[in-house]
This record gives sequence, C-alpha cells and structure tokens, in this order.
Amino acid sequence: MIPELSHASYVWTSYSVFGVIVAWQFIQPLIRRKRLVDSMLEAEAERRAARRNQQ
Amino acid sequence: MIWKTLKIWFHKLGSAPSFYRFARVVSPWLWFGFAVTAAYGLYLALYVVPPDYQQGDSARILYIHVPAAWQAMFIYLVMTILAIIALIWRIRLTEILAMSCAPIGAALTLVCLVTGSLWGKPMWGTWWEWDARLTSMLVLLFIYIGIMGLYAAFDDRRKGARIASVLIIAGAVNIPIIHFSVEWWNTLHQGATIKLTGESSMDPSMLPPLIWMVISTKLFFGAALLDRARNELLDQDRSKKWVARQVLETSS
Repeated sequence: MIPELSHASYVWTSYSVFGVIVAWQFIQPLIRRKRLVDSMLEAEAERRAARRNQQ
Repeated sequence: MIWKTLKIWFHKLGSAPSFYRFARVVSPWLWFGFAVTAAYGLYLALYVVPPDYQQGDSARILYIHVPAAWQAMFIYLVMTILAIIALIWRIRLTEILAMSCAPIGAALTLVCLVTGSLWGKPMWGTWWEWDARLTSMLVLLFIYIGIMGLYAAFDDRRKGARIASVLIIAGAVNIPIIHFSVEWWNTLHQGATIKLTGESSMDPSMLPPLIWMVISTKLFFGAALLDRARNELLDQDRSKKWVARQVLETSS
C-alpha cells in the first residue's frame, strides 16, 4: 500500500509538512470561531443576569 | 438579466451579514473540493508518476513544492489588489479579506521553503543556499509575517488594516523579483520548467499531478480565506445586532 521510495524520508517529511500545515489552516479558524461564539454567549448570559437582578 | 442579477448579488456581498452567510455556505464545499482534488493529485504523485531518471523519487517533492510556491505568490497578488481597493474605496470587507490572506500566504510560503530545503539536501547536498530565488522567497515569508504583525499591533482594526495595506503594496515589488530571480541572477535554483507561453521542459507524464495539486491549493486558499474572513467579521461586529441574530440564536 505504502510505496517504497528512494529518498523516502525527505519525500514523506515534505508531504507530512504539507498535511500538518493544511490541517492547521482548517482547525485554527474552527477553534477561533468556537472561542468567539463562547465569549459572545457568555457576555449575553451576563447581560441577561444583570437585567434580571435589576428587575 | 444575468449580468444585472450578478451585479446585485456582488453588491449585496459587500454587506457583512450577506458575506457571512455566503462564506458559511461556500466554505465547506471548497474544503470538500480541496480534499477530493488533493487526494487525487497525491495519488497520481505517489503511485502513478514514474520516478525521475536522475532525481529518483525525490522529484515527487515538487508536487507539493511547486503548487505551494505558485499559490504563495498568487495570494500575494490577490492581497495586493484587495489592499489597493481597501485604500482607495475604504471597503471594510476588502480590508478584512486582505488581512485574512496573509496567514494563508505565510503558511504556503513556509511549505515551499521547507519542502525546497528537503529536496535540496539530497539533490544539491545542502539544506539552504543564499541564492536569489531562495532568498527572495524567504523575504516573502518575512513580508507576510510583517503584515500579520502590523495588523495585530493596532487596537483599531481598520486603522491597522489600512497601515498594513501600505506595507502590502510596498512589498509587492518582491513578486517580480521572485519570478525573474532565476533569469536576472546566476542561481543554483533551476529556471522555469513550465511555461505558459513556449514549450515546457517538463515531461508530460509529470504534469497531471502537478495540475491537480495546483487546483487543490487554489480551492484550499478559497476555503481558508472564507473561514478566516468570517471569523474576523464576527470579531469586529460582535456587538452588532446581525451577529446576535445569526450567531447567538443559532448556537443556543
């Protein structure tokens, strides 16, 4: 299944670097969006709690 | 009729909620397209194309290295056009898109440099050589990092984007230097083997995986750009009503 290559360590390292960087470009925005949405939800919950306390 | 519809759609895209919705719908399809084209391109690159008669299997690195290098330069061109539009017309979305290009361009420049180095060690006998092509590509990475740093240095995002746009336009001078470096100077790096005009010196059997990987990096750029721009929009507009409607309501 895995092809036997000459200079295999160089070839596989290159493909791995590409894979890791692409994966990071996919995952990083997801993590940031989750953090953003969580912080917005938290702020909204605090606002609602403050409103309830005032009433 | 179609032209008019397209024009209205394009103008609508300039509004933050419309762009957010557009990016949310289109981005997964671009990621899917990237996954399919990259899988096919990598299959051709690793299983179908024969080894090079001189370089052996190390030539397979070029299927990563070349698309990454082309895309890193293409992203810079796109970013420069967006920066010019942002500076002249002050369209916030183009500022956001230009700033979102930088980390993706930096990532692909890094891929290009690392894979080039990994190819250079067995073929040239060295990891690095201060030749014009390699050095100008390293300068491109520094420019990308500089743009990201400058943008992040300002609390006022719009001011940061405008100042970073000036750096983007100034840094564009490096793109023709990268492209013509192999002609203007005596370099260890080989000259262009694939030419849009004129005969390419690359064997035709090596072209299909290269073309598929070039398509995949374009789709990757589109998907990553939409994701990053969407987040930036969310961050900048966090106190606006449309964000509360679209994000908070859907996630609760």
